[in-house]
Amino acid sequence: MPDTHEDDIALRVRAIESLLIEKGLVQPAALAAIVETYETKIGPHNGAQVVARAWTDPAFKARLLSDATAAIAEMGFSGVQGEDMVVVENTPAVHNMVVCTLCSCYPWPTLGLPPNWYKSAPYRARAVIDPRGVLNEFGVDLPPDKEVRVWDSNAELRYLVLPERPPGTEGMDAAALAALVTRDAMIGTGTVAAGQGAAQ
Amino acid sequence: MPALPVEQVDGLIATGASARMPDTVPPRFRPGDRVTVRNINPLSHTRLPRYARGKAGTVEADRGVFCFNDTNAHGLGHKPQHVYGVRFAARDLWGEQAAVRDALYLDLFEDYLEPHGG
Repeated sequence: MPDTHEDDIALRVRAIESLLIEKGLVQPAALAAIVETYETKIGPHNGAQVVARAWTDPAFKARLLSDATAAIAEMGFSGVQGEDMVVVENTPAVHNMVVCTLCSCYPWPTLGLPPNWYKSAPYRARAVIDPRGVLNEFGVDLPPDKEVRVWDSNAELRYLVLPERPPGTEGMDAAALAALVTRDAMIGTGTVAAGQGAAQ
Repeated sequence: MPALPVEQVDGLIATGASARMPDTVPPRFRPGDRVTVRNINPLSHTRLPRYARGKAGTVEADRGVFCFNDTNAHGLGHKPQHVYGVRFAARDLWGEQAAVRDALYLDLFEDYLEPHGG
């Protein structure tokens, strides 16, 4: 069965796009360059490198947690929708997850564009009131005594979760660790396991 | 408004446009302060979620001074002000169904807040 909702959106986007081009408000080449950038260059593989470096470089991790914008800029992942960043750290006692209840605020330079579910009304409505239920549906089961912190990021700050480094990865270097880090782990709807990945 | 030329795309994406403004406005609140979110219900643009209105929380961080969306969105000026990271106990928002230790964090413009009990 065709997804009529998605089809409607695609049609509407195409209609708006051709109107904007017709009126000279958008250059097709500029639009193509933006789409290409977020399809091929900017995505969760950037955030995965930030996480892997934080796991292997304690001084970087300290800078990341005290001034995330500057620390992430060191790695070259600055720009639109990452102008003012906060990194929150998962620990054995605390699990963080990120949502934007009012729209779809998301850290583009480190994670790329948000997945559809992040923008969906059910995720936005339920993440704040029932984070443990939502996490359970993502396959994340937390012990009752672990504190869940939901970051509803709808002002000017953008959030990246620093996941817990999985056991059994002690001998791995940053490149190998980055391959384990998933997008969902950096939103906080997932965790990182030693035998899986990766953020593409 | 001129169309964005293709040769400016990379620079724009890499630079962005922070809404942060010069820190010349004194903060009304400090980390540790108890605050109550004002029960305001604007019909126009706001970054204040409805579920937090009237609720009490604790200022955890001063994020600095930012352009105020609620006025700027309507051409009514930047109204620069501090934005605070405020922690709410999940039970203060959702009642007994929430886990006792869980919390919700919101970045809130100063105009949304008043001193708790004040």
